[in-house]
Amino acid sequence: MTTLDGLIAGFEVALAPSVLIYSLFGVFLGTFVGVLPGIGAMAAISLLLPLTYYISAEAALAMLAGVYYGSQYGGSVASILLRLPGTPQSAVTSLDGYPLARQGRAGVALFTAMVSSFTGSILGIVVLVALAGWLSGMATKFGAAEYAAMMVLGLVAASTIGAERPAKALAMVVLGLILGCVGTDLNSGVQRFTFGQTQLMDGINLVALAMGLFGVAEVIGNIRTADLHGRPDRVPLRALLPRADDLRRLPGPILRGTSLGSFFGALPGTGSTISSFLSYALERRVARQPERFGKGALEGVSAPEAANNAAAITAFVPTLTLGIPGDPIMALMLGALVIHGIQPGPMMLEARPEMFWGLVASFGLGNLFLLVLNLPLIGIWVSILRIPFRWLYPAIVVFVCLGVYSVRGSGFDLMAVAVIGGLGYLLSLAAFNPALLLLGFVLGPLIETNLRRALLISRGDLMVFLERPIACGFVLATAALILASVVGALRRQSRPVP
Amino acid sequence: MKRDYHDIWGGGLLAALGLAVAAWAWSSYDFGSLRRMGPGFFPTVLGGVLAGLGLAIALPAWWRAGKARPLAAPEAAGVLAAIVVFGLLLQPAGLVPATVLAVLIASAPAPKRGWLWRAVLAAVLAALTWAVFIAGLQMSLPVWPWSR
Repeated sequence: MTTLDGLIAGFEVALAPSVLIYSLFGVFLGTFVGVLPGIGAMAAISLLLPLTYYISAEAALAMLAGVYYGSQYGGSVASILLRLPGTPQSAVTSLDGYPLARQGRAGVALFTAMVSSFTGSILGIVVLVALAGWLSGMATKFGAAEYAAMMVLGLVAASTIGAERPAKALAMVVLGLILGCVGTDLNSGVQRFTFGQTQLMDGINLVALAMGLFGVAEVIGNIRTADLHGRPDRVPLRALLPRADDLRRLPGPILRGTSLGSFFGALPGTGSTISSFLSYALERRVARQPERFGKGALEGVSAPEAANNAAAITAFVPTLTLGIPGDPIMALMLGALVIHGIQPGPMMLEARPEMFWGLVASFGLGNLFLLVLNLPLIGIWVSILRIPFRWLYPAIVVFVCLGVYSVRGSGFDLMAVAVIGGLGYLLSLAAFNPALLLLGFVLGPLIETNLRRALLISRGDLMVFLERPIACGFVLATAALILASVVGALRRQSRPVP
Repeated sequence: MKRDYHDIWGGGLLAALGLAVAAWAWSSYDFGSLRRMGPGFFPTVLGGVLAGLGLAIALPAWWRAGKARPLAAPEAAGVLAAIVVFGLLLQPAGLVPATVLAVLIASAPAPKRGWLWRAVLAAVLAALTWAVFIAGLQMSLPVWPWSR
């Protein structure tokens, strides 16, 4: 199937009313939760997971993806207006966006964020199409050893690159891998860590885990602090219009941000947060007057927004072509696909091309909605920032309960959510990242299966991971990352405490 | 002497959990060999790794000052109790009583006093959940204690 045929088939899928409406709903809801400080894309996607049981796989993925990139745009609204990032990806945007808002140029900052996000996403889609074909061709050379090594590399990269304390991040990944072992072992049929509970035979419920870790834990942590911020000023539509010299500043940062974002998004383990931080640093380095940054430079809004949206799109490359989610949000997307009995991987592009191309088309349409919707709706998003959190969070709690209950009508799952939510809150209080736990949880069974298969084929010879060139590359990269973070930790240790 | 208690406790508990997992998996499930990994292989190794990482987190924290973050105990108690109560009440009492009670419990630790806004919120959310889940999504749940 050529690209053109694919796109035509894709738009047929994406323009079907049932897919279109869910994509629109996802974009709208994503922007809504992205604007709200205190709940992020992970919580919104977890909340919507039960709903995906009732709709087609294409509609489910289009909706969840819409939530993802919608929340990134919404996050930048809160960042710019209140210096209160709704999502970690948009934390960088507040560095220059908030000073712009203080100078009365909030509208221009919002316009810049919107245009940069849109351009970054569309260029990201082009990269996605180009890389996916090439990578799924490559992936036919992948055996069990390559899969296992690549997933381990992804986990190590996600927890060491940019992490303040890599040991804590790695511990979360390993805890997730252990939780992934709970339930019936697929190979031997042995019940592991079920302690006689029949409800645990299928393993820990992904929906309960995600809602506990993100919905419940985030709500608990935010009740006391969420209403302490001030109220934003209204932003009239006319204030969105940029000046001619503002427009001239944008193409360079957008292109540089998109390139960085596309690259790091497609790499498993790194994602939109890292790309937005890196692209901000890059802009400051190439700028003629770096001292403008932090005081309201439009480049400092534009580049990170382009980068994180491009990364959000290209993150689907490893997820769809290899079946390996590169970040925790992709892990939830993969979970949604598996719910529908679709195992993403190199065969998906050939066996279900309409699925792949439908998604590509829906990404394009979704981003168009985002652009068209948000220009007139900006007033609504600003007034959402004025709703007190105490009205919102009891609603979130009730929706979490009903969402979890609806999956299999079990009160046991609700008790599990309460336990997981309490533990998740304690983890985030002690600055452990629960998102990495989820990534480990989803990848755990896949790693175990591939590791077992690789060692069975090689008759127990561990050298198989070094003799095969691709696997060897993954192993060396993993070793280099671990070495670098150990050296970094020791160096920090020897530095005197200030 | 200031210490980073979050990391000492967190690392220590993770180390203990890792040891327990490794010991349980080693004694209860077949370890197998590299050539034929048994069901105990993966969890035993992972438990060992977690124990090591837990120590690597807890030990350096002993000699390091940490930032204390306050525990939001009332907030946690309110939200978790609301979920448990909702789970226990949903089948016997129905959607509306379960929602009203859960909202009242969850909103108890909110920083604003007064009961009127809490009652209004509970009523609005009960109506909303009924509209979305019963009227909209057609979930088969009892709505009132007497409706079955």
